[in-house]
Amino acid sequence: MSSVLERLDRLPRRNLTVLAIKGLSTLVPGGWKNITSADGLIADVLGSSDPELIRQVRERADALSRARHEGYGRALSLYDAVNRSQKAAGGLRLLANVGGALPLVKRVADLTPTSETLQAADLSLKVAAEMLAFTQVNGLPGDSFGDFAASLGEYAGEARVRMAALICFDALLPLGDQALQRLDGLLGGVSQRDLHQLPAYAGMASMLPGRGDGAHLSFLRRGVDQWLGWAGGFSSQLGLTGQKAVQALENTLGPWQGSFQQMATFLDAFTDTYQHTGVQAVARRLVERAAAEI
Amino acid sequence: MARTLRWGVGLLLVVSLSIGAFLLLPFRSWLPGGTVADVPLSQVVNGTAFNRLFPEPDNGDQLVFTQEKRGFSEARLKHDGQVKALLAISDVTTAPEARKKFETSQSRLQGWPLVEQGPQATALLVADRFQVKVIGQGDGLEAEQRQELIGRFNLRGLAALQPALPSGPRAALPSGQDSAGRQSLERVAAMEPAS
Repeated sequence: MSSVLERLDRLPRRNLTVLAIKGLSTLVPGGWKNITSADGLIADVLGSSDPELIRQVRERADALSRARHEGYGRALSLYDAVNRSQKAAGGLRLLANVGGALPLVKRVADLTPTSETLQAADLSLKVAAEMLAFTQVNGLPGDSFGDFAASLGEYAGEARVRMAALICFDALLPLGDQALQRLDGLLGGVSQRDLHQLPAYAGMASMLPGRGDGAHLSFLRRGVDQWLGWAGGFSSQLGLTGQKAVQALENTLGPWQGSFQQMATFLDAFTDTYQHTGVQAVARRLVERAAAEI
Repeated sequence: MARTLRWGVGLLLVVSLSIGAFLLLPFRSWLPGGTVADVPLSQVVNGTAFNRLFPEPDNGDQLVFTQEKRGFSEARLKHDGQVKALLAISDVTTAPEARKKFETSQSRLQGWPLVEQGPQATALLVADRFQVKVIGQGDGLEAEQRQELIGRFNLRGLAALQPALPSGPRAALPSGQDSAGRQSLERVAAMEPAS
């Protein structure tokens, strides 16, 4: 398995994913820099471009990401699982859109999970993956709950574009502008069968706390409740709406004629936003640790 | 023919079962490579113990803890939402090579060796075991500011920290030499009357 920094070096410099994030980042103050060079990131954290120091940090970071107990690799596999699931679901829905007209493939349309409940369950899985990845990467920082909350806020602030992408691509576009307010109600309708239709659930079930689907469902709902408080404030502060998101995306991706839902399907099927920004976020924390330990 | 087939099937079953057991059962935590540098977790001080030793932030500054793992704790010093510095304490048990840079160090802070790493990082080795580091971020910090920050850590408390289990290889080494020395003395004593 390749290390975190190797994966960072292999991230694309310019493709559909990068363009989509770049477009969306115009809505977020501070913007977004596509970091794809591990050595550049190390030099940035360390404030030095001494090749010997960079080599030491890199070596340490690789040792840390190879150690299973440290959780950096596990966080990445969480992101990978979510990404695979998103692509599979997106591909199916795309097929349903295209194939809806053809009688032979019409049956595919009946199979696809297009319902809003499933979309809500998918979003809650992503939020849960985000929280699990946070504890895998950072542990439980600080001595009190206040410290932990501050740390979580700090992490989210660092990943503002990432969170904006999650809110826009997975909530506002597919579920409408009232998505965050409706989400709790929608999640209430998620049954255990729905959960099993999500490919990511199978990969994540062992990492979710609690035994059985019922416990997992209640964990997801509680996790989303916590996140909703933060995300609601964040999106109203930036004034995020589906309309604004599409306009921002049109700046980089070109004009879009279809509906918001189709846009969401298209993004699900062809971009790796969540994984791309996830690798960057984990790599930054890893380098900050390695730089402090050499 | 039927006999070889039976043996073949049996062997295949055994091999696939053992491979399956190895992959599916929770044996992975027994394999090497689970921890950094394969040092058992019990020999590394938990990061929780470091948190209370961080300096109290000045007025207007804010200290946000960002990572806490076995043998490591890190916080960001922020001013007006801008990160000024990364502060970290780590247990060098998992990174023995980090000790080397202190061997040639001339400068001292409260009696412990101090090293500058590049233009923005200052490190201190406390009790030959804990590394305290300050890395300037953003606009950066002067070397004096970083050293002042390191001085405000509770270094005395850090030096007094004990590892969870005293049976580390460092503790075992002197006693091993001791018993070896005693043995050789005894051997000499036993040999004397014979000669």
